[in-house]
Amino acid sequence: MSGRSFRSVFMVASCAGAALGCYLVSLRVASERAALERVETRIVLAQRDIRLLQTEIGTRGRLAQLERWNVKVLALSAPSADQFLDGGFALAKMVAPRGKVDLDAPVVLAAAPAGGPRPQVVGRQQPQQDPDEGVSASQMLHVASLKREVRPEPKAAPSPAAAKPAPEPAADRPVTAVKAPAPKAIAKAKSAASDPLAPLGAAAKPNKLAAAESRDSGRKQ
Amino acid sequence: MNAPTSALVAQRPERLRLVGQRRQILAVMHQRLMFGMLVYAGVIALIVARILFLAAFGDHAGRKVGITALIPERGDIVDRDGQPLARTIDAWTIGIHPTRIIGDRLDIARALARLMPERDAATYFAMMRSGKSFYYLRRRASPELVEAVNALGEPGLAIDREPDRLYPQTSLAAHVIGYTDVDGRGTAGIERAFDEQLSSPATRGGPVTLSISSRIQQALEHELLAAMTTYSAIGAAGIIMDIHSGEVLAMTSLPQLNPNAAGKGSEEARFNRATLGVYELGSTFKPFTLAMAMDSGVVRSMGQLYNCPASLSIGRFSITDTHPFKRPCSVAEIMKESSNIGTAQIAAQVGAARQRAFLEKMGFMGTVGIELKERARSLTPGSNWGEIATMTVGYGHGIAVTPLHLASGYATLFNGGIYRPATLLKIDRTHPAGKGRRVFSEETSYKMRALLRLVVTQGTGKKADAPGYRVGGKTGTAEKLLGGRYTSSAVVTTFAGVFPMDEPRYVIVAMLDDPKATADTYGFHTAGWNVAPVVSRTVSRIAPMLGVRPDKRREPNLAEVLPFVRATED
Repeated sequence: MSGRSFRSVFMVASCAGAALGCYLVSLRVASERAALERVETRIVLAQRDIRLLQTEIGTRGRLAQLERWNVKVLALSAPSADQFLDGGFALAKMVAPRGKVDLDAPVVLAAAPAGGPRPQVVGRQQPQQDPDEGVSASQMLHVASLKREVRPEPKAAPSPAAAKPAPEPAADRPVTAVKAPAPKAIAKAKSAASDPLAPLGAAAKPNKLAAAESRDSGRKQ
Repeated sequence: MNAPTSALVAQRPERLRLVGQRRQILAVMHQRLMFGMLVYAGVIALIVARILFLAAFGDHAGRKVGITALIPERGDIVDRDGQPLARTIDAWTIGIHPTRIIGDRLDIARALARLMPERDAATYFAMMRSGKSFYYLRRRASPELVEAVNALGEPGLAIDREPDRLYPQTSLAAHVIGYTDVDGRGTAGIERAFDEQLSSPATRGGPVTLSISSRIQQALEHELLAAMTTYSAIGAAGIIMDIHSGEVLAMTSLPQLNPNAAGKGSEEARFNRATLGVYELGSTFKPFTLAMAMDSGVVRSMGQLYNCPASLSIGRFSITDTHPFKRPCSVAEIMKESSNIGTAQIAAQVGAARQRAFLEKMGFMGTVGIELKERARSLTPGSNWGEIATMTVGYGHGIAVTPLHLASGYATLFNGGIYRPATLLKIDRTHPAGKGRRVFSEETSYKMRALLRLVVTQGTGKKADAPGYRVGGKTGTAEKLLGGRYTSSAVVTTFAGVFPMDEPRYVIVAMLDDPKATADTYGFHTAGWNVAPVVSRTVSRIAPMLGVRPDKRREPNLAEVLPFVRATED
């Protein structure tokens, strides 16, 4: 009896509850949407500000102004044709040591067999020892090729200092090598350094690299 | 028993009647109540439905309408790299409502004169007493000034924001971009030509992308302006174009114009010499004549000889050269030394009809093909196109064209012989290149390369050479008509060049209007002395930006022309 009489009340209450629920959902959606719109508006406003600032920066740094500064202060000019290089090889060629012709250097015949007649050494050197003792024909042979493995690695050098010969006196090294026969490895490294055709090796290596290499060799020892 | 009964009986009908009436009344009342309730319920249901609808789909009180996307009042104009060349920003304006002023007018006038000294206090005071409703005091005012004016605290002073057109690069490419009037309508240049697109709400959200490159434009403007100042020329024009697509990378006209204050510029400054000015461009026409002759089979070899006396008399005219050969000379020599006599003979052989037909196909007979509205028709001999006219047109006299005509012509000559109208819009998916039409054969186009390179390596255009960039081109010095007579005291000097000549990609035209001789040019005012160096300097600046690699070992095939050039006597 009581249940039946309250049924309509329940119906109304559940209907009202459902309607309220729907309304709350839609209210929530509306508020989310409003928040989104606020964010969008802020984005647009920020974009407008960015645009304004960009315009201002662009106007202050306009090309005519930069040109005026360049004419008055910086004096930068367009690169000349010689400043453009074909690639890494052309760049490396510019820093390679120049092969200086040493008139006093021994004349070595390319076809001289290893056991054949000794190279004629002319000029200023006064051989304390027999020059043939320290220099073998294979050492005097200059390998005209880019194969790096032909050149012995300088890491066998006894000290870091020996591993990086200064590029300056490298040009006339063959003679000194002949004059005072050094340990074999150094002599080899030096003869390689004097080779103008040799790619950037131990001799022309920038100091940092050479130092790094000497450190390596030190660690190995 | 009866009596009460009778009484009862007698009373009953009365009661019954009453009960019936009551019932009727009640029923009516119920009906009315029900009706009223239904009406109320209906109204309430309507209101609830409306509220629910509004809650679900409607606006709410705090909602801001409007800004959901950044659409400017007028579209941007940007260059090919996206650098803004014209923008619309909100600028401050200061105005005055003389009728609404409360404070002491004299004090306000004095304060305004102190803040904005372009008018004096008396003028401000007169404005305030004039009784007019509104005056603009300053448009595009600086924020500091706006703050200071606001601090006066006078309600009659109106401070407002309104959209304003700003050209951030000031005078850069001013003649291309153009400018707008006070109401924001385009009155010149691209602003005028694309006014509809720039102002329509549907399209103004996106920018108009030009083919102009600001950096190249700046280089050209700077070098031309320097030359114009050095040689005291009254004007100058310059164009750089991509020969394959017809895109104009730079176009300038001097004297400069600041589009931010276009009204303050002189009439001379607002005039676009590159597309609106027509000039007799002189010897720069000679390559066209030769190409016509080669294409129509008149000239078959660079070694073909023509008699080049000291002067050539046709009727009552006589044609002379600055460096007369006085001997038979080859076609290559005619071009190298820019011989009028030789070229006139070649033109005469080509004939008026073919010359006209070629010029027509190259677009030289009508208005120049470009988007701008400021463009001119060329001036031609018209109906008077006889033999003499053919000869003079052959070396660029008697026909007046715009510098842009010339640039288009050189592009046609060196891109393989195909004419394409010049365009100021960047060529991309939305804007394809214009339809081309063949004018010269590919072979003719190829042969001209060596010839024009020869002019620069050995001929009149030596100063135009930019080492490594293989510039080829032709100088032109044309006498101006002053008072109906040609005079050698006033000339228009032009250089039309193409680079790199072994694989042509860009054409550059530079022109100086009435340059004067200086000590550095040894008293000469010919193109080889004043305008050719402009080309050299500009090319060495812009070519690296355009991706042209300098290479001193590359040249076009000069073996085609060198055998036909006699070594100079000295």
